[in-house]
Amino acid sequence: MLGENTIKTHVAHVLGKLGLRDRVQAVVVAYETGLVAPEPRPPFDAILPCVLRYRFLFEQMVRRELRQKYKGSALGVLWYLVNPLVLMGAYALVFSVLLRVADIPDYPLFLLVGLIVWVFFSQALLAAAPSLVTNASLVRKVRFPREAIPASVATVQLVTFIVMLALVLPVALIVRDSLDPALALLVPIVVALFALVLGLSLAVAVLHAHFRDVEPVLGAALLPWFFLTPIFLPVEDMPGVGSRRWLGDLLEWGNPVAPFVSAVRDVLFAGQAPSGAHLLYLAAAGAGALVLGLLLFRRMERDLAVIV
Amino acid sequence: MRRGEVVLDGATRSFHVRRDRSRTLKELAVRGGRRRAQATVDALRDVNLRVGPGEAVGLVGRNGAGKSSTLACLAGIVPLDSGRAECGGRVVTLLELGAGFGTDFSGRENIYLNGALHGFERDEIEARVADIVAFSELGEFIDLPVRVYSSGMYLRLGFSIAAHLDADVMLIDEILAVGDESFQRKCLARISERMEAGTTMVLVSHDPSAIERVCRRVVVLDAGRVAFDGGVAEGLAAHHRLLGTVEGGSRSGRPGPGGQLDVVELDLLDALGSPRRVFRPQEAVQVRMAIRAASPADRVVAALEVRDGRGEMCFRSDTAVGAVDGTVEVSFAVEALALLGGDYDVAVGAAEQDAPAGTWLDRVARLSVTPVSDGEGVADLRGAWTVGDREAGVVAGGRSA
Repeated sequence: MLGENTIKTHVAHVLGKLGLRDRVQAVVVAYETGLVAPEPRPPFDAILPCVLRYRFLFEQMVRRELRQKYKGSALGVLWYLVNPLVLMGAYALVFSVLLRVADIPDYPLFLLVGLIVWVFFSQALLAAAPSLVTNASLVRKVRFPREAIPASVATVQLVTFIVMLALVLPVALIVRDSLDPALALLVPIVVALFALVLGLSLAVAVLHAHFRDVEPVLGAALLPWFFLTPIFLPVEDMPGVGSRRWLGDLLEWGNPVAPFVSAVRDVLFAGQAPSGAHLLYLAAAGAGALVLGLLLFRRMERDLAVIV
Repeated sequence: MRRGEVVLDGATRSFHVRRDRSRTLKELAVRGGRRRAQATVDALRDVNLRVGPGEAVGLVGRNGAGKSSTLACLAGIVPLDSGRAECGGRVVTLLELGAGFGTDFSGRENIYLNGALHGFERDEIEARVADIVAFSELGEFIDLPVRVYSSGMYLRLGFSIAAHLDADVMLIDEILAVGDESFQRKCLARISERMEAGTTMVLVSHDPSAIERVCRRVVVLDAGRVAFDGGVAEGLAAHHRLLGTVEGGSRSGRPGPGGQLDVVELDLLDALGSPRRVFRPQEAVQVRMAIRAASPADRVVAALEVRDGRGEMCFRSDTAVGAVDGTVEVSFAVEALALLGGDYDVAVGAAEQDAPAGTWLDRVARLSVTPVSDGEGVADLRGAWTVGDREAGVVAGGRSA
């Protein structure tokens, strides 16, 4: 016979040895130490089979987002070229005509290339952050891989980005008047950039579902981030960098968007291949962001249907 | 896990009333991530349920009994705290009509989107499109954006899609309550067809006639637990008993004119004289009320009205009571209750003869009639069919052949 009090004593001893207050804390420790596995869903199953399996759903979701975004507008996707063009005009005026800090030939084109990369990055994150909450009825009422929501939002921005690249490319070719083999690098660079954007989109979307301040914080952070990114000037020409190498390195490598801006500009504006270090960084940043974004999403998606 | 099997095994889930609204970073910072004491609602407490392939189960219970949570857990949308909830094979949910419709998509495009959301591939959906369009009766509207649809058209499209995907398990929540009657009937027929094809159904509905037509088994949930699991008639009666204990004999909230005359007691009595809320068709019922006059009244009238679930009047009668000084008891005896299964309100009141009619029925009792017959509607006419010279069957309280 085993008395109830005997069990209670044993439980108390176990809790005491582990320094825990109650059995709920013990459960938490059991999860944290991996003694108990939370859900059968693996935290990170192979991305590729997953994407292949749900590609029809994904395609449908992207089409839905695209339709929603461009409904009733005559110019459709072209409107999204207007924004960077207006920015380009304004900054070209300020930096090259009024302040005269930028002494770069074809400066408007230089600006435009950086701007479209930035616009893709920032718009995708801003659109992805509230996406799970906006699609609450879907999250609450249908079982499907929820990654599809932020991923489709980011993909719509990718489509816009590619359209803009396609429009800027001939302009760049005419201005430079040469067809450089380095242009072929544009494809892997865009793939890596999309991986970065996709990973961060998954992260901000699931974080925003849990903490509703994420979207406003992101909105506020993107403005200083924009000015710290070498869009107006190459890093080495940025004010105060000339004498301080470490500052230049920090601005170039400390900001995950900066190497992407530099690389796209190298290829598209200058017609040169980016450095090996750059290419390596892009691949690592893209893959790293995607893996971390997916891991975070899988970790935090459990109660999505309850909290959105 | 066999295809079409549905299992709930010790399923338990509670919702933290506070935490489950999403936190803000400020809250997190102020309390250092600790959770404050929270009120919890136990939506499911150790629910055990096993449904075999091709079976149809009706899930009933009061509001908040855990019906929708059960479906959400079965669908894998809401995870359990402990226990197991699983469906074998492909699951199609119909928890909210048009969930995930792209409003700028045409009806046809939404068929593909919705199918994809339920995990179907393009070719599987393609093979069904013609059937879905025909069933939905949308005609040329199918190629217009669903933004312009009426809610009825939305419903028809949503149901048509779900009912034509080849599911092993269908989970349906309170969907059939919407839409016009002919389409409802069509939906029920389609559900029966799917069941014959071997699809398992778990159906939440407040409409006893829908449950009665589709299901062979009823599970009554109460406060997150299984209160009853068994046959349809007994299950619905158990459900009505639960409703009766809460709602019966309540005042409608309207005070009588001048507060002169009041019905202070109202009971529904069975043949043995004991109060009940649930009756079978053709049973004897006595409506007994006590009328109290605040001051002596000369020409008092008592009235009784029976309304169906939609508030439509089914029957009304009044009688002269005469002079009332103090309290008087008035009864209305029904020899055989000629009502079909469903929920009814019995409203009673008393007034001076000249008071405007209809404003003074101030006390209501819920009368539930167990659905047992084949007839549809409100009145139980106890008719019999004859085909040629052969009696084909009696349609009457509980004795249909």
